[in-house]
Order: sequence, then structure tokens, then C-alpha cells
Amino acid sequence: MTTRAASRAARSTAAPRGASWVETVAAHLVFGVVVLFFLVPFLWLFTSAFDADAVAYIRLPAKPTLDNFVRIFTEHDFGRALVNSVFVAGSTMVLDVVAVSLAGYSLSRLDLRFKSWIMYAVLLLQTMPLSATMVPIYGLARALGLRNSYVGLILIHAAIELPFLIWLMKNFFDNVPRYLEEAAWLDGRSKLRALVEVVLPVARNGIGVVAGLSFLAAWAEVLMMIILIDSQDLKTVPLAFYETLRTQGGYTEVQYGLVAAMGVLYAVPVMAIFLATRRMMVRGLVASSRGL
Amino acid sequence: MARVEYDDVSKRFPTQDRAAVDHLDLDVADGEFLVLLGPSGCGKTTALRMLAGLEYPDQGDILIDGGSVVRLEPKDRDVALVFQSYALYPHMSVRNNIQYPLRIRKLSPEEQSRKVERVAELLGIRHLLPRRPAQLSGGEQQRVALARAIVREPRVFLMDEPLSNLDAKLRTHTRTELKALQKQLGVTTIFVTHDQAEAMTMGDRIAVLDAGRLQQLGSPDTVYQRPANLFVAQFIGSPPMNIIDARRDGGALVLAGDWRVETPRGVAAKDGVKVGLRPEAIQLELTPAPGAQPAEVLVSEPLGSEVIVNVTLGDALLKVRTGPEVRPDPGTRVFLRARPEGIRLFDASSGAALN
Repeated sequence: MTTRAASRAARSTAAPRGASWVETVAAHLVFGVVVLFFLVPFLWLFTSAFDADAVAYIRLPAKPTLDNFVRIFTEHDFGRALVNSVFVAGSTMVLDVVAVSLAGYSLSRLDLRFKSWIMYAVLLLQTMPLSATMVPIYGLARALGLRNSYVGLILIHAAIELPFLIWLMKNFFDNVPRYLEEAAWLDGRSKLRALVEVVLPVARNGIGVVAGLSFLAAWAEVLMMIILIDSQDLKTVPLAFYETLRTQGGYTEVQYGLVAAMGVLYAVPVMAIFLATRRMMVRGLVASSRGL
Repeated sequence: MARVEYDDVSKRFPTQDRAAVDHLDLDVADGEFLVLLGPSGCGKTTALRMLAGLEYPDQGDILIDGGSVVRLEPKDRDVALVFQSYALYPHMSVRNNIQYPLRIRKLSPEEQSRKVERVAELLGIRHLLPRRPAQLSGGEQQRVALARAIVREPRVFLMDEPLSNLDAKLRTHTRTELKALQKQLGVTTIFVTHDQAEAMTMGDRIAVLDAGRLQQLGSPDTVYQRPANLFVAQFIGSPPMNIIDARRDGGALVLAGDWRVETPRGVAAKDGVKVGLRPEAIQLELTPAPGAQPAEVLVSEPLGSEVIVNVTLGDALLKVRTGPEVRPDPGTRVFLRARPEGIRLFDASSGAALN
């Protein structure tokens, strides 16, 4: 995904009308280096995943094999981890989209007395480093019986991204003209249904961005999963990684092939989602930055 | 179809120090075409939005058919609003835009499409039904917005400057069409505009607003011929009414340049008045005549069917409407005579009409 985006960016920025060939070559060189930088880890990932004796550097597998994939599913219960991760990230996404739509719309439309204060308070939450909240979240989750539960994981993941996504979505709503929902009210719709049927479809790029970011954040988050989950049934992909690295007897004996196979399966859904929603995401992010 | 009443309605926005609408009383008859006319910021749109339920009055009551609506949600008021920007739903086809209010009312699908087809036929937009709003011209969008308002047969039509985004030619054409359509449908209509020509041509009655206050409510003729105050006199008419300072001299009034005109009947002559003369209430002659006031031509503005002659009289500049054949050169000496029935008197301090 990175390569494609980067090469497209290179094409569009490198050859503006009237640019000399020196500039064009220089721009391509710079982008080439950037692309290489991002490409190398992926290259390792994909070569090692199909190599039964993978090592810590890039080499083509002598005998390409699917052994690593078979082993992570049979020996390490990776299927369970994948299902858990998809479920947690998917639920987080749904919860975030609903919450962010309502909160962003309210902040965009209501004439609240201390609106800018509220907005900055929300932003302040986002500046809090996640690791600083680790201990209180652990304590809270334990007290509320939310450790080792899907609900706890989903609630916390949804909450982590909420402040930023609310800001983002408020901006999208600010760009939806008010007269559209007013027309829907006068046509006979309640405020909530006007939001769902008119405002949200018009702001669908924003919803796409929110959904994508929310899913990816929950998919990639590790810290909270480590402190909240120790049940085998609930382990997610990052925990499976962690476990594989740990149970192989320390870093000297890491089975790179297994880790790489997991990595491939971890990265592929993300790439698929990004490629599927790429246009919407790019358009949405451009639109939101224009509104800022 | 419905009667609409504004009863002592006021509204002030928190960020402004003066009321947007100030003690508005208005009574719109069933089937009437009422125009709310005024300069921008006069409160006409706020008055309309309060009736639609998009703003809430600070005080007073708004009634439709005798029932108060101020506590009703917009969806429960059964009024349709055509927005200045049309407010078509960009993610729906034209057909779905028009059908949307019917779908909300849970009409049967056959009934829905029958009504959509009928209103599309009426407005001549059948061929646009499959398109998206973004593929339409401004005039076409305007028709779709109108169709969406008409299709649900509301009690009241509200229109917020629906013609202001059209080009001049289309605007004149749509004006005529809209007026005819309103008469055909017979639905009470409140139409907001800042364009006095639109107001004059379309309204059964015109309510002139300024600074949130109702200045005058009357037929286009009344508002034009007998403006209630200086504001209305100068806002309506193109070019507007000439307003000239006057002082009393016996039974007559002396205007700028020592022009003496007779005090209109039924008015006690007094000092501190202004005289209003429509451009067509002044007769312009090229040869001296007894009782005619000499003046000098500044410039003539030919408009095809008529000529507006600008003349200086003392320190006043007057606009006089003449036929196309009269086109005096700048500097020419001409002679003016006021038509007695066209003389309007206003109190100089309050601005109120005296006759």
C-alpha cells in the first residue's frame, strides 16, 4: 500500500508542468529512498513467511513452503487469535462510528455555552500518553470485572481513539450545510432520522475515515491487550505474537518463520481494508484538513 | 391551505444587540401570496424560519389555522420551505428527492410514484428524474426544490429568496410561472425577497420590514402609491421616490430651488416636512409654461421604453420619468410640474406619511 501511494505521489509531485529533468530525477530519487525504507520490512516478512528456516535477514527461501502457516494454526491456535482480533476491532469500529457520529454532530450543531472549552478538553484527553493510563485502566477494569472480557477490550479501545475521532468528525459535520438537515426536518423527519438519512450519507467520507482509523487502531493496539487479557480463549493477534516470541525460549531461538507468517496474516487484512477504502480515506482526510 | 398569524412575535439572537424581529403582527389569509420584503438583515428570513420551526421566538405566538405552532417540531407543522440554496439531497436522485417527503408519510409506493410523476409533469422536469442534483443547472435545481415542496401538498409554502440564484432572464420568467402556479394550487404562500420588483409583481400583499419592524403591509399598489413612511417610499420603486426637503409658505410648500407646490388636500401645511414625488409624478416640459419650475438637466438615462432624466434643482437631484422620445442633453433647461395627486408628505423627524 505504501509503495503504491508513494509512487503515485511521486508521479503527481515530480512532474509538474515546467519542472526540469533535474528536479524530476531528484524527486524520484528521494521518493525511491522513502519507498525502499518502507519496503524492506515487508520484503523480509513475505520471504521469511514462506521459508521453513527463516533468519533475521532477507533471503529468498531455498524451498518455498506453507509449513509456517500450517504450524501457526495447528500449534499456536492462530485462527482463534485472528477471529478475536477481527471481532474486537470490528466492534470497536461500530461503537466508535455510532458514538463519534452523535458526539461530533452535537458539537458541530448545538450552541453550547462552553463549546470551545469542551472541544479543548476533548483534545487534552488525546494528548495523554496511553502508557500513563495503564495503571488506572488496569485497576478500573479489574474493579468493574472487565478484565478478560470482550466488552472491556472493546470499550477501552473505542475510548482510546474517541477524542481524536470526535474532532475529526466534527470537522466533517461543519462542512455539511445546515439547510440539508433543515430540509429533512421540514419534509417530516425527526432530528435523529434526518442525521441518519441525510447528514451521515453526505458526510460518508468522514464516516469512512473514522471507521478505518478506529479499526486500524484497535487492530494494532498492544499495550491494553497485554494488561487486560491473559485468558487463552480471548487472546488476539498481538498477544499471539508475544506468546510465540516468548515460548520459543528467548530471542536466540526465535522462530522467524512463524512470526513472519503471523505478520503476513496480520498485515493482509489491514492492506485489504486500506485498498478497498483508499479513495474514500484519502478524499476524506483531504476534505477534513481543508476544513481545519 | 391555511391562514397564518404572527401575534406580537419577537426574536433576538444572543450575538446581536438589536432584535432580529421586533413585535411582528401579521395576518396572512388562506390562499394568499404574501411577500416579506426588506433589505438584508431586516428580519424577513428570521420571521420565515420561525414559522417553519427552525428558529424559536422569544415572545409572541405563531398560529396556523388558529392553532399555535411555536411548540411544534418542524416535522409536525406541515409547512414546506424552498431554500435559497435549494437544499436538494446530494446523495439522492431527483426522483428520490421529490419522493422523500412522501416516503416519510408512508404513502403506498404506487401513490408515491403517481404523485412524483404528476408534479414532475406540472413543472416540466420529468426528464430530470433519474439524475443527481449535481448534474442539474441552477434553474433545474430550483424546479426540483419546488417540486419537493409541492408534492406533499403542505398547508403553507415558505420560500426564502428562491429566485436569487437564477440569472436575470430566468428569474423574470420563473417569477411569472411561480405566481401562476401559486394561483393554480391555491396554497397560502409566504415569499421572502429583497428584490422590490419581485415583490411588486408576485405578491397579493407586501409586508415591508426594516430593522425587524413591520413598516407597511398592503397591496403592491398601496405600498407603491401610498408608502407609510420614508423607508418604504425609498425602498420600493426603481428609481425610488424623490424625497425633497420643504418648508411652509402660506398654503403652499416651498421645495429646493424655490419650487412651489400646492399642499395636498386634507393636510395642514406645516414646517418640518419632506415631499415625496415618484419619478412619474413629475411632468417634464422642454418649453417654459406658467407655473412650471425651471431646472437643469444633469444627465438622461435611456432605458428603451422610457427615459430617466436626472435634473438638478437647487441642491437637490431629482429623477424624472419621461417617454422615450424625450431625451434632453446635459445642461438643457427644462421645466417641471408636479402632478397634484402624486404629492406625498412625510414628517421630517418621524418619517411617517402625512397623507
